[in-house]
Amino acid sequence: MTDSNRPRDAVVIVRSFDAPVDLIWQMWTDREHFKAWYGPDGASIPAAKLDVRVGGTRLVCMEMQSPDGPMQMWFAGEYREVVENELLVYTEAMSDENGNVSSPPDTGMPEGHPMTTEVRVELQDVGGRTKMVMTHTGVPGDSAGAAGWAMALDKLADHIEAHGDR
Amino acid sequence: MTITIEEDRLSETFAALASSTRRAILTRLAEGEATVNELAEPFEMTLPAISKHIKVLERAGLVRRGQRAQYRPCALDAGPLEQVSTWAEQYRPVWEARFDRMDDYLTRLRRTKDRRTR
Repeated sequence: MTDSNRPRDAVVIVRSFDAPVDLIWQMWTDREHFKAWYGPDGASIPAAKLDVRVGGTRLVCMEMQSPDGPMQMWFAGEYREVVENELLVYTEAMSDENGNVSSPPDTGMPEGHPMTTEVRVELQDVGGRTKMVMTHTGVPGDSAGAAGWAMALDKLADHIEAHGDR
Repeated sequence: MTITIEEDRLSETFAALASSTRRAILTRLAEGEATVNELAEPFEMTLPAISKHIKVLERAGLVRRGQRAQYRPCALDAGPLEQVSTWAEQYRPVWEARFDRMDDYLTRLRRTKDRRTR
């Protein structure tokens, strides 16, 4: 993949897996499968609630070992788009164990930090293997029309590249 | 601690960009420097209102004001926008590691299945 088409405020990862598309779908939507790979190294996922339907909620707990004992972090979000074996879009924000999104001071993040992010997973069957495109977009949680904002920033960045002095 | 400072700066950048007027001002400045009067032209806004937007952009480090006393033209500084990209890039290694684990997990699943079917 080339970096020239990459939105400036997003991580785009394209991967090919030697597994059928329905199994990769389960990696994201079946809690037991999801828990097996999602946690960063050294962390575990003691809890995951994945209500996979448009408007359904998700709540994921990550547990890390710290010198003071285990430390838990919770992430809540909502499913925006669900097309089985093809497309999954959900939001994610830091929260408490009940799924209430934390305000920035509670998380130690400065106010105005993009608290809510969006994860988009596109799957494509390629002769029994699966091509996956994952796009993680950071959007400021406090602005209206966050998706439009991302597009606007993108256009702005292109414009600056075309006309700017750098 | 540097991370906190960078995130602080970043939140200012995001806040500054969360306005269509300010994005339009930046787009205009990408073509070259301009005075406040020139920047105000396309908007149905008073000069003080435009000045306020420019001050927000200045604080976020996206706009520099010239020193020529009378005109003080505004110029674009795209540096903080590079930071926005850097913010997203922090997530890349996290995801790469996740998908490496997904790959390993799929391999384990396949082996288990192979053993069962044999």
